[in-house]
Amino acid sequence: MSTTPRASSAIPGEPAHLGSVLAHHPELASQFMDLYGTFWGSDVLSARLKEIARMRNARVTECGFCRNVRFEKAVGEGLGEDVLDDITDGYETSGKLTDAEKAVLKFTDALIFDPDLLTGDARVALQKHLSAEQIAELGMGITLFLALAKALITMGLEPETMERTVLPTPEPVQREATE
Amino acid sequence: MNGPVAQAVAGNPEFARQYTNFRNTAHHALGDDLTAQVRQAVAQVHGLDQALGDTAPPAMPDDKSAELCVAYARRMPFEHTAITDAEAAEVIDAIGEPGYVALSVVAALADAECRAAMVDLPALARQA
Repeated sequence: MSTTPRASSAIPGEPAHLGSVLAHHPELASQFMDLYGTFWGSDVLSARLKEIARMRNARVTECGFCRNVRFEKAVGEGLGEDVLDDITDGYETSGKLTDAEKAVLKFTDALIFDPDLLTGDARVALQKHLSAEQIAELGMGITLFLALAKALITMGLEPETMERTVLPTPEPVQREATE
Repeated sequence: MNGPVAQAVAGNPEFARQYTNFRNTAHHALGDDLTAQVRQAVAQVHGLDQALGDTAPPAMPDDKSAELCVAYARRMPFEHTAITDAEAAEVIDAIGEPGYVALSVVAALADAECRAAMVDLPALARQA
């Protein structure tokens, strides 16, 4: 896995990172930020559950950047490092993760790794803990987590080293009404 | 091309609109024909004939740059950490840096959408 950017920043003065590289296509960058902000701004599903899925994706895809970022909203909902430490193989036996969180993790694994994991009891558990609307939102989020983590890695945008960093949660883009 | 995620979030007009805009813009950035080739190649790695919602792409052009792009995309589902600097550089030489960025996003999104289809995300999102 390369930590040397394979694509340059399209924003003068900024280093190569996902946002500055996507800026080779400004509309694409802007639409991703809109979508990601709307996703994190929605409260249909808690930020805590979204962050748990995001962290599982970070570990499975080996995205070091994703793994070291924390979003404020999930931290504010009480998601601490002691719980995040259990989002590793064998999470099924964790005493810190709730049953709903384990169901979200199993769904995440099925979507990003092996669809056969979402059969029988795992499917029942997911549908017990999450509504259809919540599953739709989570499914879209996991799709974005997976796609953007893989795009980031393949474009060589992984940091060589990175401290754990709490970032402001992406927010919906506010635009002035135009009429 | 619509896809399983857009189908799953159809009940939320804002998500549906924004996701579709993002996806369509990525596809447009790479170009419709090459996007179709890339999406089919990724689907075939997953053992699918086509990505959900796609139609068969036009015949593969006899074009070295398209072949390089498809070869790069085929690595995305299971070998994304193994792509080398040299492979990426070859693609950039062939289609330029903006094209390479678009290809990386389109291939990764195609992989994620195939996976969403394989867990039948649209059906899960329709459950009673």
